[in-house]
Amino acid sequence: MISTLSYTKTQSQNLILLGFGFVLGLVLLMSLSMGAFSIPFPQTLAILFDQVGMSLGTFEVQQENVLLQIRMPRVLMAILVGGGLGIAGAALQGMFRNPLVEPGLIGVSSGSALFAVIFMVLVPVTASLAWIKPIGLPLFAFVGGLINVLAVYKLSKSQGRTDAATLILAGVAINALAGALIGLVLFFADDSALRSFTFWSLGDLGGATWSKIPVSLVLIAIPSALLLFNSRQLNALALGEQEAFHMGVNVQGVKLQLLVFSALIVGAGVSMVGMIGFVGLVVPHLIRILFGADHRLVLPGAFLLGAILLNFADLIARIIVIPAEMPIGVITALIGAPFFIWLIFNLNKSKK
Amino acid sequence: MLKASKVHFCIRQRPIVDEVSLELNPGEILAVLGPNGAGKSTFFKILSGEIKCKHGAIGYNGHDIYTLKSRELAEVRAVMPQHTQVNFPFTVQEVVELGLISTKAKDPSKLIREVLEATNTTHLKDQVFNTLSGGEKQRVQLARVLVQIWEAKPFPRYLLLDEPTSSLDIAQQHAVLKILETLKSRNIGILVILHELNLAAQYADKIALLKNGMIAKTGTVEDVLEEEILAHVFDHPIHLIPNPATGGVFVSSAASSHPNIQTFKQA
Repeated sequence: MISTLSYTKTQSQNLILLGFGFVLGLVLLMSLSMGAFSIPFPQTLAILFDQVGMSLGTFEVQQENVLLQIRMPRVLMAILVGGGLGIAGAALQGMFRNPLVEPGLIGVSSGSALFAVIFMVLVPVTASLAWIKPIGLPLFAFVGGLINVLAVYKLSKSQGRTDAATLILAGVAINALAGALIGLVLFFADDSALRSFTFWSLGDLGGATWSKIPVSLVLIAIPSALLLFNSRQLNALALGEQEAFHMGVNVQGVKLQLLVFSALIVGAGVSMVGMIGFVGLVVPHLIRILFGADHRLVLPGAFLLGAILLNFADLIARIIVIPAEMPIGVITALIGAPFFIWLIFNLNKSKK
Repeated sequence: MLKASKVHFCIRQRPIVDEVSLELNPGEILAVLGPNGAGKSTFFKILSGEIKCKHGAIGYNGHDIYTLKSRELAEVRAVMPQHTQVNFPFTVQEVVELGLISTKAKDPSKLIREVLEATNTTHLKDQVFNTLSGGEKQRVQLARVLVQIWEAKPFPRYLLLDEPTSSLDIAQQHAVLKILETLKSRNIGILVILHELNLAAQYADKIALLKNGMIAKTGTVEDVLEEEILAHVFDHPIHLIPNPATGGVFVSSAASSHPNIQTFKQA
């Protein structure tokens, strides 16, 4: 019976999401307790439950400080940025109807980076204007990302369809241009700005503090939640923009929402922790391969899996070279690049 | 009634669709025929609301098409384009469910069950769309399009199809048109662009012949299917032979007429 079938289907979707949530919880727990300063699991749990007024055991003040002041904001930031990159990647892939689309590949990230660098180097932040920095940086990054994603979209679209080859070419060109402009801006930067840029460009969650969480929450969590409302429309867009219009979807409106929300998420993420590649590409793919293409599952699943992967990558980055830290972009690229190669290989195979 | 009055569309001053007027009633199959470049597809896109005509008007049940929101339009008309690519691994059931995206159906699973049955695709519903054969894909797309207007409504609905039989084998072509025939009793009007004249002769109630963006002739099958008009429209000698199987005519496009073939002339 179809009715029971589609019923159990949403049930199984919920189960899958619940499973992701459970895994995320485990990774978070590991991430909170492991690192250069190790906090045993019982103490980790005790500190967490102590926050809600339940006493589970004793712990040292130093443990509490490390966990709550250093690791907690970092883990939250990894959830927001990883989840945001995952869901934005899924939304952009759906909108472009192309599984190769990734915020980094088509130039959203580099556009955000360019504008972030412009803001960091060229906008003088005096003491009186210090309040503008936590908002100004992500907003600048958002504008840069939006400009690039619009440019790539216009360039790659012909006769209502986005052509994969032009899409990638446009992305390469836009990335090159943004890279050159970043270089130009950095030419005017001083040594300390250069050094911080180098680390920032490879992705760095180490700068995550509680003060950055509220802005990230507003600029990443809210657009991500709003993207979820577009999942059915994204399913319709998968058949083509004309077909979606025939089925009654307000195509232009939906596309505008998808572009703005994705650029917001990626821009905020890039401005907070730098460029982190491959999460937006790999995560939606994994979900589709494992559980199918229904965006009602792909979008929330991509958020959760993105959060899991980035936290996991951050954990590795922190414990692999104790007491130093590996830049997280190195880890995600080390996981992501081979996956991307495998993906291209398989796409070629399925065409034969 | 779906009514197009004096629809006009130009590209660089050259008319692609030239003051075309047409009416489609519910319960009727209207076949639009014409040679390549006659403006069929452009006219089709204007009717579906995809592109706007420069002059003229399209009315669905008396409502001007440009006053309807895309959601309202989707309630009165469904469109089946020539090719639809699905880039992600959606199952057949998921593809068909998409047809209900903007309608508030009372019992969606019943509608889906019925269109899957009507298009003979029930057994495919759990398969991934991209793994199907051409004919199966076409029937699934038909199911998706049908489910959008399947539910009985107090107003007539319309189905527009752009060459739904291209790239299908003979059995599949007839299968698709037989499905369209069953829609007539559901208060649905069907406009279908066809290339195969014999399919039109066999299944259509009315035919509109398009040439150079203009209606060369429109009317019932018997009125329109005349050798001279067809030969003029298609720039090719055409002979009509009585078709004993259907009681209608058989359209032959053999290059030269054979003396033994008795051509069909109307009194």
